[in-house]
Amino acid sequence: MEIIQNDQIKEKVYIDILDNGMKIIIIPKENTEKKYIIWGTKFGSIDNHFIEPKTGKEIKVPDGVAHYLEHKMFEQENGVDSLYKLMSLGLDANAYTTNDHTAYLFGGTNNFYEGLDELMDYVQHPYFTDENVEKERGIIGQEIGRYDDEPTWKLYVNMMDCLYTNNPIKLDIAGTVESISQITKETLYSCYNTFYHPSNMIMCISGNFNPEQILEEVKKRLLPREKIGEIKRIYPPYENKINKKIKEQKMDVNIPLFITGFRDILENENKVKKQIAIEIILNSLIGKSSKIYQEMYNEGLLMSPLDFDHEFSDEYSHIIISGQSENPEKVNEKIVNVLINSEIRNEDFWRSKRALYGEYLSEYDDVETIGRMFLQDSIRGINSLEYIDVFKNIDLQYVNRIKKEIFKEDMSALSIVRK
Amino acid sequence: MEITKLKTNKFKTNLCALFITVPLLKETVTKNALLVSVLRRGTENLKSQEDISKRLEEMYGAGFNCGVDKIGNYHILKFFLETIDNSYTLEKENILQQGIDLLLEIVFKPLLENGAFKKEYVRQEKDNLIKILQSRQDNKAMYAKERCIEEMFEGEPYSLYKYGELDKIEEINEKSLYEYYKSLINNSKIDLFISGENIDGIELPDIKSSKLQEIKINHVSHSKIKVVKENLDVTQGKLIIGLNTPENDKIATSIYNTILGGGANSKLFQNVREKASLAYSAGSAYIRRQNTILIQTGIEINNYDKTLEIIKKQLQEMKNGNITKEEFVAAKTLIMSSVNLIPESEEDMIAYYFDQRLFDENLTVTEYYNKLKEVTMEQVIDVAKKISVDTIYFLKRED
Repeated sequence: MEIIQNDQIKEKVYIDILDNGMKIIIIPKENTEKKYIIWGTKFGSIDNHFIEPKTGKEIKVPDGVAHYLEHKMFEQENGVDSLYKLMSLGLDANAYTTNDHTAYLFGGTNNFYEGLDELMDYVQHPYFTDENVEKERGIIGQEIGRYDDEPTWKLYVNMMDCLYTNNPIKLDIAGTVESISQITKETLYSCYNTFYHPSNMIMCISGNFNPEQILEEVKKRLLPREKIGEIKRIYPPYENKINKKIKEQKMDVNIPLFITGFRDILENENKVKKQIAIEIILNSLIGKSSKIYQEMYNEGLLMSPLDFDHEFSDEYSHIIISGQSENPEKVNEKIVNVLINSEIRNEDFWRSKRALYGEYLSEYDDVETIGRMFLQDSIRGINSLEYIDVFKNIDLQYVNRIKKEIFKEDMSALSIVRK
Repeated sequence: MEITKLKTNKFKTNLCALFITVPLLKETVTKNALLVSVLRRGTENLKSQEDISKRLEEMYGAGFNCGVDKIGNYHILKFFLETIDNSYTLEKENILQQGIDLLLEIVFKPLLENGAFKKEYVRQEKDNLIKILQSRQDNKAMYAKERCIEEMFEGEPYSLYKYGELDKIEEINEKSLYEYYKSLINNSKIDLFISGENIDGIELPDIKSSKLQEIKINHVSHSKIKVVKENLDVTQGKLIIGLNTPENDKIATSIYNTILGGGANSKLFQNVREKASLAYSAGSAYIRRQNTILIQTGIEINNYDKTLEIIKKQLQEMKNGNITKEEFVAAKTLIMSSVNLIPESEEDMIAYYFDQRLFDENLTVTEYYNKLKEVTMEQVIDVAKKISVDTIYFLKRED
């Protein structure tokens, strides 16, 4: 096992790649009673076109299949619902699907190994029948319906439509009522056999564990699987420009919601370093302590701080800045302007850096946050501890260069939801 | 000020929380909401939000948060400040003391102008509060829940919205709000909680805290079920059902609630979602201090009758004692593990002990856990027999 240590924040991380290709990350936490495990596969809503390694056949699947598969994993051949079983053990169990991965998880103070038995059993034993696949359609239909009433979700989907022309990140993760009507048990098995192979999966465990011991416990519960070759995912060509400048949707909201988005097409940069630079840029120029936020607050243009997010994988990268305002066009104009035309001052750079250190450190307070963070970073090829190391060596000059290269007028777009 | 220190070595951070508890009243609920947002605008030394934010960032991005909440017949003004533990600072700073000092400064040394709050701040926060109250309907699920509570407790304190009332904002000004603030600070119960590892050496000023006058819940239940249907632009109908639960046997009621609608094992989840495929979410929440359970589900509008029938059947089943041993054990295990998790979060730990203090129960987490363990199936069925449907609220689209 590889051991990575950070003395500043006093954490040790154990990483192992098993013979079957599965990656295991263990983050021991001595003083906590809570234990947490999350098992993810690199299969999300954007993976809808691929070559099946076993047959070499090119396959296109209906939108929303990764999410549908996640729902169906819990059902077992003996009639047991694994979610039910885990909850009966007093474990808080769940699963979720994103653009680029699906994850199964549970946490709790007792019965960890009984939970581990169940988790590793159900994730390795798919059981799909015509009937049980059919039964799920109504439930997922209602889940999609719930998103339809969610203005922030529409706002986000519309922003993706502005930033990308053909990229599958535009798709709703759960698909549409129409697309899920085409999903059959065959679709689910084909995706399972391709993407739920250990070589495509990562497991993160955090809690009061002896790393060697827990590693053995996991190993003995893994079933042998035939080796498969590399999974070839097919994506549309990388896009270098945005699709639409603005998209507006009418919904019943009192104060309009908006997202200002920037496509980031900057390649060949260290991902971690770039990510930190972006956080410093956004915090310094339009964060809570910035002049422009204070001005907009005083003018009544904003009533709470803007939220930022930098989402990226190998297939997409963008920055979204969201908020609520009576005049979203004006707020958009102001933030785009300040991001393009202002330089970051030394004093703001220093303060943002200190704040970031505290933020990174606090992530290590809770085993659940730790597990999720390590999985999500690891899916994108990052080891979370890198943030603490890289952060120390970042300088103002680098940050200002990144700012100049990412924040450009023709790469920005605006999504609005209003009455 | 009543000070409670919760020492724990589980975290890299410290959490400080200050609570001001007052009766939940029509006359003051709006003022409380406004007051909290005016206080966070500036202090004697840090005159603007920008100054406060800069100070927080210098303190390794300490997190400050404030708001209002209602628990039973009380309105709580809450102020939180989270700092990293001193042992992780880069230059050996006493960041916890700085954090507590800042928290106290925000609450007790507000920025004043001509013997009142700063006029501009009060005006801006009034505008913001108006916007908050006007956008209540934006989150449909939340709105439906609050509306059900409003209907169920009509005329009682708990029906008040925690952010107050629109038509009460206009009359408040910087002077009247400051006068109100002074009396509030001098006549309210004030609690300070501090959790973390290195919390022994902190210095705290002497601040007065008054005794809270106890206000018992006195709900007049609807002898005939109250049914309210409201139309809004929604694709999915939101069905909320308010149940009356007994004042005593709160621990057994919490198990009842878990069997009924707490997670994937519950009767609601199994019957409304898994068996009938009527909903994605179906569950219930126990509002312990209000003796209420709220059932919540999102369904297709024309499935209203069908869903209601299934839900009523579950309630009847529980009254008839049709709870399997498996269901009982699963619910008890689930709730016992959630109690075990309380010390794993500083926020939950503080919230737990504050609630215990407020209602004079003073059970430690372990004591509470042990009481939970003793609850029997008979006690839960006994509770089930005392539970009644009070209000049914349905948010739907116009036909």
